[in-house]
This record gives sequence, C-alpha cells and structure tokens, in this order.
Amino acid sequence: MTASNGESRDSVVVRIPRKAEWVAVARLAVAAVAIRLHFSYEEIEDLKLAVAEACTHAIRTETGETITVECEPFEDSLRVRIGTDDAEHEHDHADDIGLFLIRSLMDDVTYGRSGEILMTKRITT
Amino acid sequence: MGLRQDTAGEERDQTRATLAQLSETRKQRATDARDHEYERLRDELVVGHLRLVRFLAAKFVNRGEPLDDLIQVGTVGLIKAIDRYDLDRGVEFTTYATPTIVGEIKRYFRDKGWALKVPRRLQELNAAVVRAVERLSIERGRSPLVGELAEHLGASVEEIVEAQELSHAYNLASLDADIGSDDDPRSATISDRIGANDSELELLEDRANLERAMLALNGRERAVVYWRFFESLSQTEIAKRLHCSQMHVSRLQAKALEKLRTVLKE
Repeated sequence: MTASNGESRDSVVVRIPRKAEWVAVARLAVAAVAIRLHFSYEEIEDLKLAVAEACTHAIRTETGETITVECEPFEDSLRVRIGTDDAEHEHDHADDIGLFLIRSLMDDVTYGRSGEILMTKRITT
Repeated sequence: MGLRQDTAGEERDQTRATLAQLSETRKQRATDARDHEYERLRDELVVGHLRLVRFLAAKFVNRGEPLDDLIQVGTVGLIKAIDRYDLDRGVEFTTYATPTIVGEIKRYFRDKGWALKVPRRLQELNAAVVRAVERLSIERGRSPLVGELAEHLGASVEEIVEAQELSHAYNLASLDADIGSDDDPRSATISDRIGANDSELELLEDRANLERAMLALNGRERAVVYWRFFESLSQTEIAKRLHCSQMHVSRLQAKALEKLRTVLKE
C-alpha cells in the first residue's frame, strides 16, 4: 500500500453478474477489504451503501454481462472502481439520485471514460 | 426508479418555479420569514420532495434505527436545504438537497453514539447465530442453511454472514493494535485472581458507573467481560468464540478488569 497518489499494490477484484441478486457479494467484498484498512464502522457502512448504489447504477443504466469491482487500498484511503465489461455504451451520469448519494458518502467521485465510477473514501482516525 | 423520472421534466420545472417564488418571498419579507406565503411555498416544496427523503432514508435503515425516525431527520435536512438553496448558483435542487439530507441523517447517527452501538448489535447477532446454529442443527439433524438462520432470527442473509465473519474480523483488525505484550508475567497467575474480581464486580451497585467504565475497554475486552460475567461462559468457551487460546482470554480478562478497576477508582 502506498499513499493515494501512487499505484496501489494490493488490488482486490471481484466480478459479479450484472444482476441485482449479486450486489450483496460486492458489498461484502468491499467491506472485507475496508475492515483490513481499519475503517470505522460507519465508514464501512457508507462504503457498502456507495458500492450498492454504484452497482445499481450499472444495472439500471449501463449494459454488459458483468460488473467488475476493484478495490485499491492505500495507506490513507480506499479507492473502489466499479464498471461493466461493456465499454462501448453511451454513459449517462447526469441525473441519478444514486450518484448524488454516492457523492455525499464518499470523499471523491469521478467517472472513467468507459462509464466506470471511481470513488475514494479516506480513513479518518 | 421512479425518482429518476421525478427529477426530470415537468416536476423539475415546477420545483424551480416554486423555489423562485420562495426566493422572492424571502427577499421581500426578510424581516418576517415566517410569513404565511413563505410557509405555504416551503410546505409545497417539502411535500414535493418527501419521496426523495424517503428514498434516501430507506438506504440507512439497516443501521439499527427505525425508518420513521430517519425520515423525520431527513425531512429536517430537506427543510434546511430549501431554506439555504440559492437559485443563482444554478445547481439542481435535488443535487443540492441530497447531501444536506444525507448529512442530517448521518449526524443523527453520530449524535446517538451509533458507532459504539452497531458493533455491539452485530456481536449480539453473532452470539444469537451461534445459539441458533446449535438449536436448528438439533431440530433438523443437519447444519442449517444461512437462509434458515436468517429466517429464524429475523435478520437478512447478509447480516448473518456479516455477523459471523465481519464483526469478528472487524474486532481483530482494530484491536490487535492495543492488546499489549503477550509476555505479561502476571498471566500465569491470573486464574487465581479471577474469583476475587468476580465478587468485586458483583458488589458494584452502580451499573451506570460500570457502564461508563466499560467504555474504556476495547471491543474484545468488553466481549470477554460480557460473556464471562453476564453470560457466565467459561474462558474456554469464550476462547472458541474469539478463535484464540484460553490463555489469551485469561489475559484479556485480566487486562479488562484492571482497566475497569482503574476507571472506577477515579
């Protein structure tokens, strides 16, 4: 693990079918990574909620067969990258309450070129 | 899903118009913001966005507070958002209101000391899962499925998995740091001292004091004290639950009691 401006060495990737019934697996996987980083309970709940919202967004407005959830742990933060395997689709991040919710739960949210959501939560101790 | 449409088109225009009116009213009667017209417009906006509040509040419902309470604090957030919203900034109202509502809900959890409460809730669920596994195994002659446990305990499957795996892992991760030296020379004789500690604890009449003192313990120590003295489990049983040795439990218990004693003396 390094500071958040560098590359994270220990990335953890989970790929789930782009279906609602698998979202819980993504939530739990991210929670399990967050626990190792000594996030507080509330922060972990926030992360899980943000992951669920990002997956729901992918299910609702994106296309593709699978959702990939990548956790990149850093010394002071966790970055989660959530996207589908279909990079060709037109993306609409404009008007979605779920995305507003993610933005109010995470410290930094950006959208990747292929429609993925990159969100970072810092550890406050 | 409906919310996506709610915020689009007509309803959004309606919101913007009402907000503009509200802003006008606010300027005109700055001295008397409680003016009837202002109130009426504000009510209209509140009612129009209750669905947003309900939607957001529902996202926090698995954190141990009733939905109605969350909707109530969320609505306070909505009212704050309406009062503070500035049309000229050109942000959609929903964009502006969401963080305010979420912020209000999160503050509510913080004020309730929620950070302490939830791990305890999971620990309790964890203990309940252990009991339920035993019971259902005997009843059915086989190990129960997680779904059956969830049904039996009135919890979700995810909560069961978490209670089993994560509450444990969470404690381990954050508590290892201050567990202290394993070469504590006192550890060998600790079993002798436990009896005495036990009666001391029984003598404590002031539960409030004890509760306050318990806050000085970390999660593992608290769990050991709770299981040992309130549920009368043996150190070996506790060791099994914490996946560590009985010696370790013995040390944790000694350390916990030492801390309690120090705090209570103060």
